[in-house]
Amino acid sequence: MSDEEHHFESSDAGASKTYPQQAGTIRKNGYIVIKNRPCKVVEVSTSKTGKHGHAKCHFVAIDIFTSKKLEDIVPSSHNCDVPHVNRTDYQLIDISEDGYVSLLTDNGSTKDDLKLPNDDTLLQQIKSGFDDGKDLVVSVMSAMGEEQINALKDIGPK
Amino acid sequence: MLGFSNGSGGGGVGAEDLAQLQSTMRAIELACSYIQINSNPVAAEATILSLHQSPQPYKACRYILENSQVANARFQAAAAIRESAIREWSFLATDDKGGLISFCLGYVMQHANSSEGYVLSKVSSVAAQLMKRGWLEFTPAQKEVFFYQINQAILGSHGLDVQFIGVNFLESLVSEFSPSTSSAMGLPREFHENCRKSLEQNFLKSFYQWAQDAALSVTSKIIESHSSVPEVKVCNATLRLMHQILNWEFPYSKGGTRASINVFSDGIRPDNALSRKTECVIVQPGASWCDVLLSSSHVGWLINFYSSVRQKFDLEGYWLDCPVAVSARKLIVQLCSLAGEIFPSNNVQMRDQHLLLLLTGVLPWIDPPDVISKEIEEGRSGSEMIDGCRALLSIGTVTTPVVFDQLLRSLRPFGTLTLLSMLMGEVVKVLMANSTDEETWSYEARDILLDTWTTLLTSMDGSGGNAWLPPEGIHAAASLFSLIVESELKATTEDDADCLASVSAMDERLGSYALIARAAVDATIPFLAKLFSDHVARLHQGRGTVDPTETLEEVYSLLLIIGHVLADEGEGETALVPDALQSHFVDVVEANNHPVVVLSSSIIKFAEQCLDAEMRSSIFSPRLMEAVIWFLARWSFTYLLLVEECNLGSNKLQSLPSRACLFTYFNEHNQGKFVLDIIVRISLTSLTSYPGEKDLQELTCFQLLHALVRRRNICFHLLSLDSWRNLANAFANDKTLFLLNSVSQRSLAQTLVLSAYGMRSSDASNQYVKDLMAHMTSSLVDLSNSSDLKNLAQQPDIIMLVSCVLERLRGAASATEPRTQRAIYEMGLSVMNPVLRLLEVYKHESAVIYLLLKFVVDWVDGQLSYLEAHETAVVINFCMSLLQIYSSHNIGKISLSLSSTLLNEAKTEKYKDLRALLQLLSHLCSKDMVDFSSDSIETQSTNISQVVYFGLHIITPLITLELLKYPKLCFDYFSLISHMLEVYPETLAQLNNDAFSHVLTTVDFGLHQQDVDIVTMCLRALKALASYHYKEKNAGNSGLGSHAAGHTDPNGVFHEGILSRFLRTLLHFLLFEDYSTDLVSTAADALFPLILCEPNLYQGLGNELIEKQANPNFKTRLANALQVLTTSNQLSSSLDRLNYQRFRKNLNNFLVEVRGFLKTR
Repeated sequence: MSDEEHHFESSDAGASKTYPQQAGTIRKNGYIVIKNRPCKVVEVSTSKTGKHGHAKCHFVAIDIFTSKKLEDIVPSSHNCDVPHVNRTDYQLIDISEDGYVSLLTDNGSTKDDLKLPNDDTLLQQIKSGFDDGKDLVVSVMSAMGEEQINALKDIGPK
Repeated sequence: MLGFSNGSGGGGVGAEDLAQLQSTMRAIELACSYIQINSNPVAAEATILSLHQSPQPYKACRYILENSQVANARFQAAAAIRESAIREWSFLATDDKGGLISFCLGYVMQHANSSEGYVLSKVSSVAAQLMKRGWLEFTPAQKEVFFYQINQAILGSHGLDVQFIGVNFLESLVSEFSPSTSSAMGLPREFHENCRKSLEQNFLKSFYQWAQDAALSVTSKIIESHSSVPEVKVCNATLRLMHQILNWEFPYSKGGTRASINVFSDGIRPDNALSRKTECVIVQPGASWCDVLLSSSHVGWLINFYSSVRQKFDLEGYWLDCPVAVSARKLIVQLCSLAGEIFPSNNVQMRDQHLLLLLTGVLPWIDPPDVISKEIEEGRSGSEMIDGCRALLSIGTVTTPVVFDQLLRSLRPFGTLTLLSMLMGEVVKVLMANSTDEETWSYEARDILLDTWTTLLTSMDGSGGNAWLPPEGIHAAASLFSLIVESELKATTEDDADCLASVSAMDERLGSYALIARAAVDATIPFLAKLFSDHVARLHQGRGTVDPTETLEEVYSLLLIIGHVLADEGEGETALVPDALQSHFVDVVEANNHPVVVLSSSIIKFAEQCLDAEMRSSIFSPRLMEAVIWFLARWSFTYLLLVEECNLGSNKLQSLPSRACLFTYFNEHNQGKFVLDIIVRISLTSLTSYPGEKDLQELTCFQLLHALVRRRNICFHLLSLDSWRNLANAFANDKTLFLLNSVSQRSLAQTLVLSAYGMRSSDASNQYVKDLMAHMTSSLVDLSNSSDLKNLAQQPDIIMLVSCVLERLRGAASATEPRTQRAIYEMGLSVMNPVLRLLEVYKHESAVIYLLLKFVVDWVDGQLSYLEAHETAVVINFCMSLLQIYSSHNIGKISLSLSSTLLNEAKTEKYKDLRALLQLLSHLCSKDMVDFSSDSIETQSTNISQVVYFGLHIITPLITLELLKYPKLCFDYFSLISHMLEVYPETLAQLNNDAFSHVLTTVDFGLHQQDVDIVTMCLRALKALASYHYKEKNAGNSGLGSHAAGHTDPNGVFHEGILSRFLRTLLHFLLFEDYSTDLVSTAADALFPLILCEPNLYQGLGNELIEKQANPNFKTRLANALQVLTTSNQLSSSLDRLNYQRFRKNLNNFLVEVRGFLKTR
């Protein structure tokens, strides 16, 4: 096979936060960096520069942390930055008074540096389940040095 | 009883009643005025609704109509009469029924001069609707009375206003009886059909005559007077009525099959389903109408009337758009499309005379074309000219081209085709001159004229190719075509705004142009060849020095036009070489000189130049490449490597040498393989050298490559080509092809797998597929075995790789054929474990999950029917693990996000996943229906129904009622459920309580959907459930067991069984809710077994209903009706077809009988 074949090596500690990827291959529901923010693409359209020019992609995307809408236009053969978005599941152990959560990691230690969302509805969704005494797993999304709780799952009483 | 039977006169109302009536009137008036000023509209609507729904509100309505000063209140009163009379019709006294109609008619006649026309037309339409409701029960004498009154009115004996009202009433009546415009009455379709038949056979012609008489009576007044007179209004109404009557479909006048034969022998084609922009209905009223329409000089009168009035108002431009002028022209156009038995078959001249007469009348609207178009450009209205075009279209629809052309010869030195060509040429010129974006008359005229050409020219194509246009017509077509090409090329270079229209956008129009070109191939093919080579030369000359955009655009359009002229759209069928191209150029003996070959070769030669990198950068823009690829796809489907038998078609011209050289030139012994090689190389270039050009890549994959491998004989040649090997290699190994977008990726994989058909043996085909896909499967296996999968998998480049590979696997899976099934089965087998692992690690990456699911869905769909028992078991286990893993990740999961867009996206993704899972289950079901495996049925080790129920069990908790609001998901879900219940009711009975009740909750939910299909499926499910239980019970089994019996919960509350619950729901649904009458039969099928299962409950519910009725009269009616429902028609208690049929009939009658008063509040 060709020498370009993929080798699956685990990334080292300093793994890059973003990867280049051709604009034409980024699709709806994929990720993209716009104005140095990690975003999720909600709309892609292509158009041409002039009648006989080359195609370009028009992205509408939403910042995965702040939920702000961002847009970008890139020639479709050029590269865009795609953020490395990681998601990790933790069991929710405790919610402290000052708005921090205490999470149980896979290897048994705890992670206590994550703050609850500021938005009331989201806060309510997390708190109400927790207050009901349900066993909750939270999924924490991290990208480009930021992290946030982005999903919640009730694994039910064991 | 209701105060209507004694005709007019409102005396005899007691003082108390009067006060009551007045207060009702006051309330309604108030409500109407509130609605108008939009203050508290809800309360106001409720007031009005209460009038509509109150029992027998006729007295109040009548009082309001006669006394209220508020027009809106009168309008509402009329509406209330309609509503309640239709509802209560079955128990109104015969006198009252007639009384209501004569009251309405009397009312409109009396108030004929009122200024509130909308009230009058409402009342008149109420009269029409009630008349239809009673149509089948009134005696002829009763109808006679009404129609005598109407006829008197229309004759004009009571003045113009009343005359107008009479015509207006007939208009409402006719539209009420015509199926597309009739209003719903809650009655079976049969009723409407009978009414239509009766009206058509006994009344329609008289109505037309009355309208004619009325029109005649006012004609002279209109022509003589010099200003607008009130007669015009009546005249317009009569013209409209005549137009409407001729719009009638006349299904009963055609005299059965004989008529359709006559249609052919008259030289009139049946209206084949052409996709035309302009509507042109053929009017076929049947032989009996001859006297009214043809021998009574009706047409002559109409033409004279129009032209004399037109002349009178010649100076006043607005007249052309006056209602009466518009109606008159409409009727003229309509008469142009008169056809069928009305023209006696032994008198062909009659039709020609008729058309000639009309053409004479229409001619001044369109001839001379240049003068007319100039006048319009200077500000005259274009509507008359457009109607003239429509008339030509109508005439073209009912005649052959030769007859069409002959018509004009007695009036002008040239034929109609020449006029058509001149007219269209003029329109095209106008279009060229002002290329503004706004829609002008010329656009409309062009479309209509184009339709006329299409109609005329397709008629020839069908008749075997010998009936060509007369020579003059050919000349006309040729000159028109060159004008069209000129204008198209000019138009494309001018408008920059919508230049991005895709290749297929102009298809329809270009298709019509191509027909014109093919009508004169001797001139047009050489013309196109010359034009093309000129343009290519121009491109080369200006290379590097001049901006080529304009020429590029012209070449682009030329390629599209030529593609349409040379070949037809295959649409999945084998596209034959167009007849015209086969049978012309008879004197050509050498292939190299055949104009079609010359033209094709020059384009292929031009296309080949894109392989050169330098040429590519200077000339072949992505857009031009799109046209090149499109052309090659279309052309190769019709001309490349033809197999003698299937592409020749049945043609008498077999032996022509010109034809032979057209066919052999591009076959395998000649240039065929060489051209195929060029095409493959061009495809590879367009896939690799135009990064990010999505449209181009899709076109290449879907149109060109896919069309090639669809033809089996081409596959053999493809596999022997180096270029094809290069393409396959690039696909497997080259990173650039990983950059194609997802659908192209999938399509390319499918194409390459399909081409394996070209291998000599099944083994070789399987090996080919294996080699092709080995790299993909191993990359997934490697990845899933990697120790650091969890972190690795989240890297964007890995996500992209996985997505690509999954798309390709899916493409390959969807190309499963018997020959390659083994290889594709093994491909899927080898990635089963990786798929499950990936499902785990990508649980938050919904885009990847969806691809995974879709791959499995397509793979299972392709494979299942071929699999042996042990393989089936493997696949099914795999699917179940997949369902379980998916479900465990998603049950109880909540997405948290501030962005509503992202939340909605998450919901949509979930919906798509579930839909895929349901499809998976449906595919699994199909194993029981279609099975090609060698095992006999006995050895079938897996019980599919249990598997599918188990699957349903897993995913139903994920299907929330919220998600069922997605129509497609809802449809898939309920079709699966109803299928399962119908085929395997016994397995449902074994489900545990939770799952069982969840399934039935959704059925209950489905019953209350708006969508008729969904409700039907739920009803079918219920029928299956209940009849299963009933039959099992009778056979001494437990049937649904505890589910049906009901149970007492720990708190001592009794929960009734599932069938009882549905019996209750269904009865309530049938009696009190609104639904389409189409549902009644299906509902009957469900209700019948339910009643049989729960006879006691049914009795109880019936008694309850009867008790609730306050009115003793209704009480007995209801009791009788309920009695009749279950006993009449010799209904017995066995569930067979006959009994179902009887019960359907019973239920229909029952509902007609009782729904009226039950729904009254």
